[in-house]
Amino acid sequence: MTTTSILRRTALLAALAAVLAGSARAQARFEQSLSISGGLYAASGFGNNFYTSARYDYFIPGTRWFIDGSLGVGSLTSNVIGSVTKAQIFTSNNLVTYEFAAAFDYAPGGAMPFLLFGVGGVREGEETHFAAVIGIGKRIPLPGLLGSNALGFRYDIRDQIFSQVINNSNPFVVHNITATLGLQIYF
Amino acid sequence: MSHSSRLLTAIAALALAGASPLRAQSAAAESTAAPSRAPVIDLNESVAFEVCPHTGMMGSSGTFGLKLMMTYSSFSLELAGEQVIGRTANLYPVSINAVLNLATHSRLIPYGAVGAGLWMTVPVNALGAETVSTLGMNFGGGARYFITRTFGIRVEAKQYFTSISDSRGLKNDLLFFQEVSVGATFLFH
Repeated sequence: MTTTSILRRTALLAALAAVLAGSARAQARFEQSLSISGGLYAASGFGNNFYTSARYDYFIPGTRWFIDGSLGVGSLTSNVIGSVTKAQIFTSNNLVTYEFAAAFDYAPGGAMPFLLFGVGGVREGEETHFAAVIGIGKRIPLPGLLGSNALGFRYDIRDQIFSQVINNSNPFVVHNITATLGLQIYF
Repeated sequence: MSHSSRLLTAIAALALAGASPLRAQSAAAESTAAPSRAPVIDLNESVAFEVCPHTGMMGSSGTFGLKLMMTYSSFSLELAGEQVIGRTANLYPVSINAVLNLATHSRLIPYGAVGAGLWMTVPVNALGAETVSTLGMNFGGGARYFITRTFGIRVEAKQYFTSISDSRGLKNDLLFFQEVSVGATFLFH
């Protein structure tokens, strides 16, 4: 790759970042948003299942912080456990999660993702676990889409960390990872 | 390097350099030019409603909850529901509380609270175990700090107590629990 083409690509990326920064500025007047996201939930030891979540965000005016509350629904179905042991680990395969977190978005219009930390509840069957939640994500505004400045995409990658006991085992720490992509509506 | 590449790079650099100061300026302008966002709360103004999601610890168990408040001046009426996540059981206290606000015209509003309600203890994965409901009381205090006219953070410490009798009703045990919580509060007039 020549120096010229590297410079061209760098310039294009920089221009894109500047455009995104401008559109994020256009959305600065919005204080709240609702999101619907879908993706994968990797439950430690159970494998991946589809996962959907609804999120509410409140952007604290004059700061780079926002508050995030979310409710997610998924499954703990595991083909491996089901075919190898036929055992039922939990009373059902239903998974419900809820999170309450704070996030710091250093560069709403830049490439750097926001950092999120908080707590959550992970309900596996009839068992509920209190979890620490850390994650990163990015809000990507879509100004002008459908004649509105209030729409955007977002992605989130989060780690739900909690202590678990299965079949009288010693407590062990699990990391359940969620990766979702969603549509965000500002208001 | 071609002339067009240099020009493109210069334009992009200029756009990037302009983006950050403008964003910073818009935030500063918002804070000074919008008197409606002046973060001073006047609870004497009218009846106010608050929604307070919160989280915390009760003993070694994590908690989640939601409080709904109706406030006029120094007095607030509060409906609170919580989930206390235990290893062998989940506890769901639902209570109605009276709150005395120690300031009515301030960003920082300390308060004291007292209330009573129903405690439901739901066992986890225990065959034959049933939900146990008892009456309980609580008291405590905390503070709400409003960052804007509609949003603030809230910290609270409370003492809960309830009486549980054995299955034959021969013996009563008075149980005490302490809870510390932190959360957000959204204010509506």
